Amino acid sequence: MQPAFRYTHLNTPIHCLHPLVKLAYLLLTLVLVMYPIRLTDMPILLIWLGFSALLWALARIEPRRFATLFKILLGTFVFLILIQGFTYRGGQTPLIVLGHLKLWEADLGVITREGVWFGLVLSVRILAATSALPLFVMTTPTSAIMSAMGKLRVPPTATFMFVSALSFTTLLFEMWSSIVDAQKLRAFDIDAMNPIRRAFRAYIPIITPLILLLFRKANDFQIALETKGFGAPVRPTEIEVLTTRPADYFWLALIVGVFGLCTVLKFA
Amino acid sequence: MREDSAISLENVTFTYEGDVVALRDLNLTARRGEFVVVLGANGAGKSTLCYLTSGIVPHIYGGRRRGNVRLVDLDPWDEPLYITAQRCGVLMQDPEVQLFMPTLKAELAFGPANLGVPREEILRRVQEALALVRLEGLEEHNPRDLSGGQKQRAALASVLTMQPQVLILDEPTSQLDPLGRWEVGEAIERLKRAGDLTIVMTTHETEEVLHLADQVLVLEGGETILQGSPAEVFSQTRRLEQAGVKTPALIQIQARLGLKDADRPGGWSLTVSEVADRVREALGKGQLALRPEAVPPPPALHNSGPVVLEARNLTVEYPGPPPVTALRDVRLEIRQGEFVGIIGQNGSGKSTLVKCFVGLLRPKKGEVMFQGQNLRRFSVGEIARRIGLVLQNPDYQLFTVSCRDEVRFGLRNVGVPEEEIDPRVDEALRRVGLEAYADLFPFRLSFGDRRKLAVAATMALGPEVLIMDEPTTAQDHRGRYQLAELARRFHEEGGTVLMITHDVDLIARYAQRLIVMHEGRILLDGPTPEVFAQVEELRKSFVVPPVAAQLAQALAPLGVPPHITTLDELTRVLVPRTPQVEGE
Repeated sequence: MQPAFRYTHLNTPIHCLHPLVKLAYLLLTLVLVMYPIRLTDMPILLIWLGFSALLWALARIEPRRFATLFKILLGTFVFLILIQGFTYRGGQTPLIVLGHLKLWEADLGVITREGVWFGLVLSVRILAATSALPLFVMTTPTSAIMSAMGKLRVPPTATFMFVSALSFTTLLFEMWSSIVDAQKLRAFDIDAMNPIRRAFRAYIPIITPLILLLFRKANDFQIALETKGFGAPVRPTEIEVLTTRPADYFWLALIVGVFGLCTVLKFA
Repeated sequence: MREDSAISLENVTFTYEGDVVALRDLNLTARRGEFVVVLGANGAGKSTLCYLTSGIVPHIYGGRRRGNVRLVDLDPWDEPLYITAQRCGVLMQDPEVQLFMPTLKAELAFGPANLGVPREEILRRVQEALALVRLEGLEEHNPRDLSGGQKQRAALASVLTMQPQVLILDEPTSQLDPLGRWEVGEAIERLKRAGDLTIVMTTHETEEVLHLADQVLVLEGGETILQGSPAEVFSQTRRLEQAGVKTPALIQIQARLGLKDADRPGGWSLTVSEVADRVREALGKGQLALRPEAVPPPPALHNSGPVVLEARNLTVEYPGPPPVTALRDVRLEIRQGEFVGIIGQNGSGKSTLVKCFVGLLRPKKGEVMFQGQNLRRFSVGEIARRIGLVLQNPDYQLFTVSCRDEVRFGLRNVGVPEEEIDPRVDEALRRVGLEAYADLFPFRLSFGDRRKLAVAATMALGPEVLIMDEPTTAQDHRGRYQLAELARRFHEEGGTVLMITHDVDLIARYAQRLIVMHEGRILLDGPTPEVFAQVEELRKSFVVPPVAAQLAQALAPLGVPPHITTLDELTRVLVPRTPQVEGE
């Protein structure tokens, strides 16, 4: 089992883009979704999401990856839409009436159109935010991420921790999958359990061996690192040399331009 | 310490925290360029010796040391690890934990970059190391996408770019398939030929190091029991056996037949053809008697029993990128009461096939039938009760606080009544010899015993079919046979056994039927001796028949039965007229 959002080596315009430009896209995405939210934000979020979809398409990332992301978030979306539908303070137009239970300004027995819409806006906001990171990780080799972080004067140890965490994710997925299989062989099938039973009982036989194995692997990992001079009191040599091309400036301008448009629309 | 010594240990005793004495009064001197092989059963102290020499002890694992240790010009105890690391590189068993960078180039550059070596020099070293381990052209590949042998060679190259003077190899091939072992062995051989590097290698695979070793050290319970040249040490076959170390088969056969050659340096021939010549000569001189009737042809396969497991045109594909077809239209029948060995390279489809047999994988095309019924009809619990699979790594399943609870877990899951559980737990632990450890925390057991516990947990469910996936991986000589013996007893009681392994000697001894898989297909399937006789076909899958089978085939024109596959059979057919058995 591989993580769904692992780096894939392709030669697309997005893969060739300078990692700092992609980092800029990531940061601007975060800024955009952090703006105070309103009911009328949907077009702005859709513009940014559409722009992200264009980048995903240019990076030739298979649609099933986006479907995976959507599946992971689906539960959250349903929860947000329902909770906002019932509790949104500005909700005036009833969609479904189950009864009446007034709590401050909200009627908890009624799902309102405005509440559902606000839940949708929140969901799209989350989708816009979360779709940026996989795009970055799937199109940027870790060595380039390290060099880019070096350019941003991030300490090498912090950079290495980030990169090795990405690398450990693969190992974690593989171990998780092997443990689930191992327990199935003793008739313990986590995949077949209902969510409530799973939440209360099922994870102990999976998580306990996972933690014990991780401790063991972490020891070996430490040996491998330290016997290769990691932590030596010298400045590490930079191996990856990042170069900037005209296309990088074009893409940076485009990203900033779309962000500017969204900001203007937001506050106009 | 002598001037040309790279490693010197004098009267070294080491005790881990918790007062576990791992090494006692150890003495070892290795000259520059010398190849030292350290042998011993699991727990003998081999890894501790590696850790002590390379500075991992005390900087990562703590403990108390007595005696002197010198590594080139320093004592690793007194220096920080990054200083010792510039003199001594370490390659461990598991390549997965030694590779953490996104590309091979970055992986190889990691060590020297940490030490601030100039970029151009690093790139030169990277190219040199890649050429040495024959991974040129893969610089931009993710190390995790490489095969097992390539990963271990990549890990070796990443150590070499540190330009150490001493290289410690801690069971570097124990987790690899025959091809991977050959690839890594070849890289090590090239390093040895290059001359300057002092190499210390721990291993259970004595055949692999026979022609490389300058000095052999055998440990038992942390103490040196044998030390000297390979010829001196491997002559002590009985002592090696007691210590749980395998004597190389070629030496074993010469020792048993009394064929030690006084005129030859070391006294032993080290290739199959040389040994075959010695046997011919001994037969000609009347020193050996030939008794072909002592090993009659094996009985026909036990194929009258009902079909218990059947693969019908199985095709399995793993999604990519890129997608990998692991099984291609596999058709296979396993009959009740068979003991079947399955061999083949990693990635040949062996594990995928057995995962289909226990329902962990659903084939893209085709069906798995269990006793005539489609396996899809069975629940996870029903499958667990009837087909037991013991995985390579027991640590994926152990999670309870005692061995007893570990065995109970499966029984409860399949709904065994409470009053039946404890007797079945006791019986399962007794069968694997762990009854005395029933209340012990499983992780306090040795790796071999944890594997036995996994077998007990499987056997307690009372399966009709027992499948063992690579029971020999990372096991010492003794541990391998203990697990195989458990399978044999299960088989004798009427069970059906499937065993996946790379150990051809073990499979020759136990399996009546042998299946060889290659690129998702069944390459060969038949009685074990017949399959081992098909040398050319086996070569496709990098499988080398057991030494006894190779000798029997070479000596077949003289009347040695070609169906011989084990040393015991060979020594029943070839009998010394004047017994002069070595190592007694």
